[in-house]
Amino acid sequence: MVKQFKQKRRLLSLFLDWNEGNLDVTFLLIVLALLTIGLIMLFSAGYSYAYYKYHNSTHFIARQALFAVIGIVFMLVASRINFNCFRSWALVGFGASLLLLLVVLVLPEYKPGFKRWIDLGPITFQPSEIAKIGIILFFAWACEKWQKRLKYDLKIQLLFIGIAGAFALLVYLENHLSGAVLMALLSVIMLFIGGLNRWWFIALGVVAVLGVMLLLAKPDLLKEYMGERITAWLDKDYDPTGARWQTNQSLNAIGSGGLLGQGLGESKQKHMYVSEPQNDFIFAIVCEELGFVGAAVILILFALLVWRGFVIAMRCRSRFGAAVAMGIVFQVGLQTVLNIFVVTDTMPNTGISLPFFSYGGTSLLMLLVEMGMVLSVSRASDITKK
Amino acid sequence: MALKPSKMMYKRALGVLAVLVILGFGTGLVRLAKLQLIDGEMYRAKAEAQQLGDSSIQALRGTIYDRNMRPLAQSATAWKVFIDPSNIKNEKIAKMSGDEAQAALQVRRELVADGLSKILGVDKEEILKKAEKEKSGYQKIKSEVDLEEKQQVSEFIADNKLYDCIGIEPDTKRYYPFKTLASTIIGFTGTDDMGVEGLEHKYDDDLTGIPGRIISAKNGAMGSMPIEYTASYEAQQGTSLVLTIDETIQSLLEKELSKVYASSQANAAYGLVMDVKTGAILAMSNQPDYDLNEPYTIQDADVLAKIDKITDPAEKNQAVSTARQAQWRNRTISDTYEPGSVFKVITLASALEEGVVTESTRYTCVGGIQVADNYIKCHKHAGHGTQTLQQGLMNSCNPFFITVGQKLGAEKFFNYFEAFGFTEPTGIDLSGEAVPKAGATYHSRENFGISQLSSCSFGQTFQVSPIQMITAIAAIANGGKLMRPYVVAKKLDGDGNVIEETQPYVRRQVVSEQTARKVVDMMEAVVSDGTGRNANVAGYHVAGKTGTSQKIGAGNGKYIASFACVAPGDDPEIAILITVDEPVGQVNGGQLAAPVAAALVEGIMNYLGVEPEYSEKESRLIEIAAPSLVNSTVSAAQAVAKANGFSVKVVGDGDHVVKQVPAYGQLMPQKGVIILYTDSRAEETVQVPDLTGMRLSAVQKIANEYGLNLKIAGNAFTGADILSYSQDIEKDTVVKYGTVVTVSFKSYSGVSDSIYG
Repeated sequence: MVKQFKQKRRLLSLFLDWNEGNLDVTFLLIVLALLTIGLIMLFSAGYSYAYYKYHNSTHFIARQALFAVIGIVFMLVASRINFNCFRSWALVGFGASLLLLLVVLVLPEYKPGFKRWIDLGPITFQPSEIAKIGIILFFAWACEKWQKRLKYDLKIQLLFIGIAGAFALLVYLENHLSGAVLMALLSVIMLFIGGLNRWWFIALGVVAVLGVMLLLAKPDLLKEYMGERITAWLDKDYDPTGARWQTNQSLNAIGSGGLLGQGLGESKQKHMYVSEPQNDFIFAIVCEELGFVGAAVILILFALLVWRGFVIAMRCRSRFGAAVAMGIVFQVGLQTVLNIFVVTDTMPNTGISLPFFSYGGTSLLMLLVEMGMVLSVSRASDITKK
Repeated sequence: MALKPSKMMYKRALGVLAVLVILGFGTGLVRLAKLQLIDGEMYRAKAEAQQLGDSSIQALRGTIYDRNMRPLAQSATAWKVFIDPSNIKNEKIAKMSGDEAQAALQVRRELVADGLSKILGVDKEEILKKAEKEKSGYQKIKSEVDLEEKQQVSEFIADNKLYDCIGIEPDTKRYYPFKTLASTIIGFTGTDDMGVEGLEHKYDDDLTGIPGRIISAKNGAMGSMPIEYTASYEAQQGTSLVLTIDETIQSLLEKELSKVYASSQANAAYGLVMDVKTGAILAMSNQPDYDLNEPYTIQDADVLAKIDKITDPAEKNQAVSTARQAQWRNRTISDTYEPGSVFKVITLASALEEGVVTESTRYTCVGGIQVADNYIKCHKHAGHGTQTLQQGLMNSCNPFFITVGQKLGAEKFFNYFEAFGFTEPTGIDLSGEAVPKAGATYHSRENFGISQLSSCSFGQTFQVSPIQMITAIAAIANGGKLMRPYVVAKKLDGDGNVIEETQPYVRRQVVSEQTARKVVDMMEAVVSDGTGRNANVAGYHVAGKTGTSQKIGAGNGKYIASFACVAPGDDPEIAILITVDEPVGQVNGGQLAAPVAAALVEGIMNYLGVEPEYSEKESRLIEIAAPSLVNSTVSAAQAVAKANGFSVKVVGDGDHVVKQVPAYGQLMPQKGVIILYTDSRAEETVQVPDLTGMRLSAVQKIANEYGLNLKIAGNAFTGADILSYSQDIEKDTVVKYGTVVTVSFKSYSGVSDSIYG
């Protein structure tokens, strides 16, 4: 009886086991700081559009705040879970991600022309959001398990690269170029820190450079809207009321901010100039209201988050735990950088949201769960220190 | 069981971190610094340009008032209706594609064009054409839309939910309440509210206000913001002008001018009334003129008929354009003419001032005079005989005035010609004043020989503008002081405060007060018993001079009849110049222009409240009160009326008078007729007979027979051959018994001052 129970418990503990160590307060504070600023800015940036579209200024902030509260609970719960359990989640997550990515392709389109969302009635979510954590966990687990063979075994190398490619391709098929690029870069980072032979990266680098050059020269090769965005990025005078509208308005907003900004709530560009200011372009409104100083503080907070996550990973005695923590913070850092590149017209306009800021309940929930996982790794390091 | 992280993993992770932070966050920060700190101003300007709705509020143009603050030109708020062709497609159409969308779009365009065309009276095809300019966001449909039409457009928009594609914005509209009144002085504005002609053009900068602005925040969806960010700068109304023109006098002048213009079949008739003491123009007109509200419409029926006959379109356009220019032209300042005998007044004043002639100077006219190689005839071929200076003026004797000019000498004559201002513009505050040119409009000093001197002495062989002539005449009436004429008395700001007032300006003293007085007295004799007798106005001593001149170079039979006068003679207040250009038939100034001046003097003196002083002869024009006859028996009433000099007409079979017309106490002409009703029937009516072309006694008799009262106007007592020439109530008009008909008389002999008539 007891044995049976113990067996059952052991089985259960593979998936759920409690952590005893203290979480990393610095990381937690940075997360909470970003979340708080993000929520305030979401309200400021989004109320005008919310009023215009839903006749309810608090439409976005109310939902986002609710998800933030739930997300914080989830984060704290996740931080309590022994990160070793995440190994068992890795395969489940991998399978589930793959399944959802396939399912979303056959489901009816939520927005015409795009297959990114699964509609569950009250909420919608993007399978690619789940796939991101799925791929982080999977590669962290796989690279730990096949670390040696990753270095020498061509079959394993090809398999892993194939999986990474398949995920990116699936997201691309959703008509989601930015998601695919993000997925690919994330896989590359995971395989890089996981120990894949460096020649692959050199080869990959060459292919990527050639690919980007090809696309810049011939944007037509991509699907229509994607190609146009590249054209619009290259030609600053291209279709100012259409393809470049959002970017131009974003630049106007950022520029208007100057050093110290127009003041919180004082953005003018959010009033129907910057399209969907609560979403991917929220940072333009942040720049307009808080100025260069405010924007820099926020960027530094993001950088600190990445750095602190890196420190947590370095302290972790487990290869898997370190890889998970690094993967998560690098993913957040990467997404932040790409988002800022887009709003500042440093790269073509693609739909990449800004973590903690952009509107999106399920993705905020996922983000906070991921933050919880990093905190879970921090608790484990805390124990090993003792 | 867990593997420890390898060194390679740390190294590689550090690499990723470095790339992410330095390349990623670093680049981001650099980009932000560039956008916000270096290019910030540029982007802020771009953003503000689109965020701020800057709509201008049109400023009302200043008003133009007459001297009694009656508005002659006025701006009122109106509206401008425009469409936004790029927004005619609604959401429904936006979702359609291809032909279906095009068809649906066309239906909506038709709806817009049809509706607006019906309300605004704009051609539907024209609106449709504008609606098809898909890329345009603004196409004006009509400006100066009034309130009623604007409200209809608003309803049309609301009924059909056309909010995005039809717009209404404020505009102003210029009204000229008196239509043709003073049209050549006032001028008009173009569609853009800019002055095109006359004072509207000359004072455009003053009249134009400063447009106001409303700067408001607007959102990217072209809506107003939930939060108010509005700053407004009020429009400043333009400066208003108060003219010296008097609406009453001006309309009187225009009425009389248009009558003589019509009856004489002349090319044009023009006239001026000036305040002699200040140089202020009280009225100024040339007929035909035009309606300021429709400046492009040709007003003159004859001209229009001529244009209609032209078949070639280019030629027709040219003719229309010429006719427009002609009707807009202020001939009283822009045209020049030969002053003829009116100018003798100037010769006289100059010679008197220089002492080369006196009141006792005599001259015997034998019907002509030899000047160099020419024998110049007098208009009275038999000769005027021996005349005093005054008689010479009364007879308008040419040989007499040639000798007066010759006594003065070329040098001195020219000095006075200059001094009276005939070699320079008067400087009136209107644009388009004719500029005299030596050798062209007048003989230059170098070329001023005996022939020139002699012809100029009686006003021939040179030209002056009407404004120059009246200014010179007014100088004589003003004790010799030559004034600068003006029409703008005051400028007022938007609140009605005076910001500038024109001060009368004395250009110079041309002749002494004594000389001026003598000349006016002689001019009075011209009217009381000379060629100017038709300018006689009972009760006022009019002093004037007739003129009839041949137009230089216009071919034979083209004359100008004119008359200049000042009144009242003992202390002149106004000067009048009437000129009839190319009359047909009767061409004498004393015949054509003098009666016009008389009518004006009478009207103006009455209006100005100058008390008449009747001579004995004229005292029969004084109106007296009707006696009380009601309730008396018919015979008693008849007796009373007769005792008072009235005749009676009895209507009805009763014994007692129940009603009398005119009523008791009402002023009526002497020897008038009183209608006595003996029962309570309605007042009887009568058809007015033709009362023109008759002697006064005949007119009086017929009037009494018809039961009409006669009011005598014009020259009914001075000179011979006095006949009635016009009546204020047209013949065959049905009027009540006892109605007063004004009949004007003039003398048909002794008024000729030329050989032409």
